[in-house]
Amino acid sequence: MASALALPLLSRSRTATIDRVSDEEATDGELIERVAARERDAFEQLYARFARPVLGLALRRLRDRGRAEDSVQEVFAAVWRSAGSYDRARGAGGAWLYTIARNAIVDAQRRRHAPTVADPPEVVSTALTPDEEAEASWDAWRVHRALETLPEHERAVIDLAYFSGLSQSEVAGFLQIPLGTVKTRTRSGLARLADALEGEL
Amino acid sequence: MTDSAPHLDDLIESDDPERERLQSVHDLLVAAGAPPELPPSLQSPPEEPRARVIPLPRRRYTAIAAVAIVACALFGLGYAIGGRDKPQSPVKTIAMSGPTGATASILLQPIDEAGNWPMLLDVKGLPELPKGETYTLWLTRKGKLADPCGTFLTGASSSSIWLNAPYKLKEYDGWVVVRTGSAKPFLLRTDTV
Repeated sequence: MASALALPLLSRSRTATIDRVSDEEATDGELIERVAARERDAFEQLYARFARPVLGLALRRLRDRGRAEDSVQEVFAAVWRSAGSYDRARGAGGAWLYTIARNAIVDAQRRRHAPTVADPPEVVSTALTPDEEAEASWDAWRVHRALETLPEHERAVIDLAYFSGLSQSEVAGFLQIPLGTVKTRTRSGLARLADALEGEL
Repeated sequence: MTDSAPHLDDLIESDDPERERLQSVHDLLVAAGAPPELPPSLQSPPEEPRARVIPLPRRRYTAIAAVAIVACALFGLGYAIGGRDKPQSPVKTIAMSGPTGATASILLQPIDEAGNWPMLLDVKGLPELPKGETYTLWLTRKGKLADPCGTFLTGASSSSIWLNAPYKLKEYDGWVVVRTGSAKPFLLRTDTV
C-alpha cells in the first residue's frame, strides 16, 4: 500500500528548475514558516487545514458554540502573530499549532468566564480525568487534522460511515456508487489516515 | 464506541493484512467524533490580524509616567544630596568674629516639629587644626560653655557646615566656637540668642 501511494511521487517528471511546492503539498511546518514571512496564501491554506480541528478543540474545551467560534478567530490571530516562533527542528507544525490553539482557548476561557453568583455550579465530568481529557483532545485534534488530508471521495464515505451512522449499503445508495467502491474507498481512506497519523502531518 | 459507530468487520475484510493498523485508526475515529462544521462566519480566515502595537496614547502616557518617575527620583536624589545646601529663609542670622580675624555666620533655620534648630554655619579664616582635632560650636550662658551644637573641620579658606541645636535657645545668651576639648574661643558672639 505504501509503495502504491509513493508511486505518483516517483513517477513525477523532473523539471529543469525546482518549483516551490504548492500550498496543498506544503507541510504544516512549511506553511507556518511562510506565515511568519507574512504570506497570506499560506495563512489561508493553514486555516483550511486547521479551522475545523481548532473549532473542535474549542468546543471540547469551552462547551459553548458561540465562544468556541469566537476563539477560532483568536487562535488564528495568535498563529499569525506567533508564527515566527515556530522552529521546525523542535517538532511538527501541527503540534505547534495545537499548542498555540490550546493556549489561546485557555486564555479565552479564563478571560471570559468570570464566575458570577448567577452561574450554575460547574459540573465536573466523571468520565475522564484531566490527563485523559488532554490526551483525548490531542487525539481528536490529530484525527480531525488527518481527515483534512483525505481526497474528497474518501472523505465522503468516511464521514457517512463514521459520523452519519450509515451502513455501507446505505452509503452506496446515498452516493449512488457500487457497494464494492464504498468498501474500497473506505479501506483506502482508513489506510491514508493511518499514514497521516503515524507520520508527521 | 457509540451505537451508531460502524463495526470494523463491516468495513474491511477479516483477513486484511493491515487490520491491526486500521483498527487503531478506526478506534481513534470513533473516539474523536465528527469534526464540527464551520459556520458561514468561519468559512474564510480572519483578515490579516494586525500586529499588536501599543496605541500612541498609551505610549504617550507611558512616556509621561516614565518622565514623572524619573523627575521624582531626580528631585528626591537632589534633595537628599544638595537640598540642604540651600537653606530656607533663616529665622535669624548670627554674625561671629574672632581675635584671629576669622568670621562666621549662623543661618538659623526654623525649628522643626521635634524641637531642633537646624543651622548652617559659614566659616571663613579659621586656622586648620592638626590632624584628628576638630572645632565645636557651643551655646553659652553667662560666659560659660553650656551645650554643644556639633563639631566640624574647616578647609583652608571656608567651610559651610550643617549643625543643630536641640535646645531651647531662650535659655542661652551667646555662641562660641572653640577647639574641641578646650575653652579658648576662636569665634565669639555674645549677643542675646
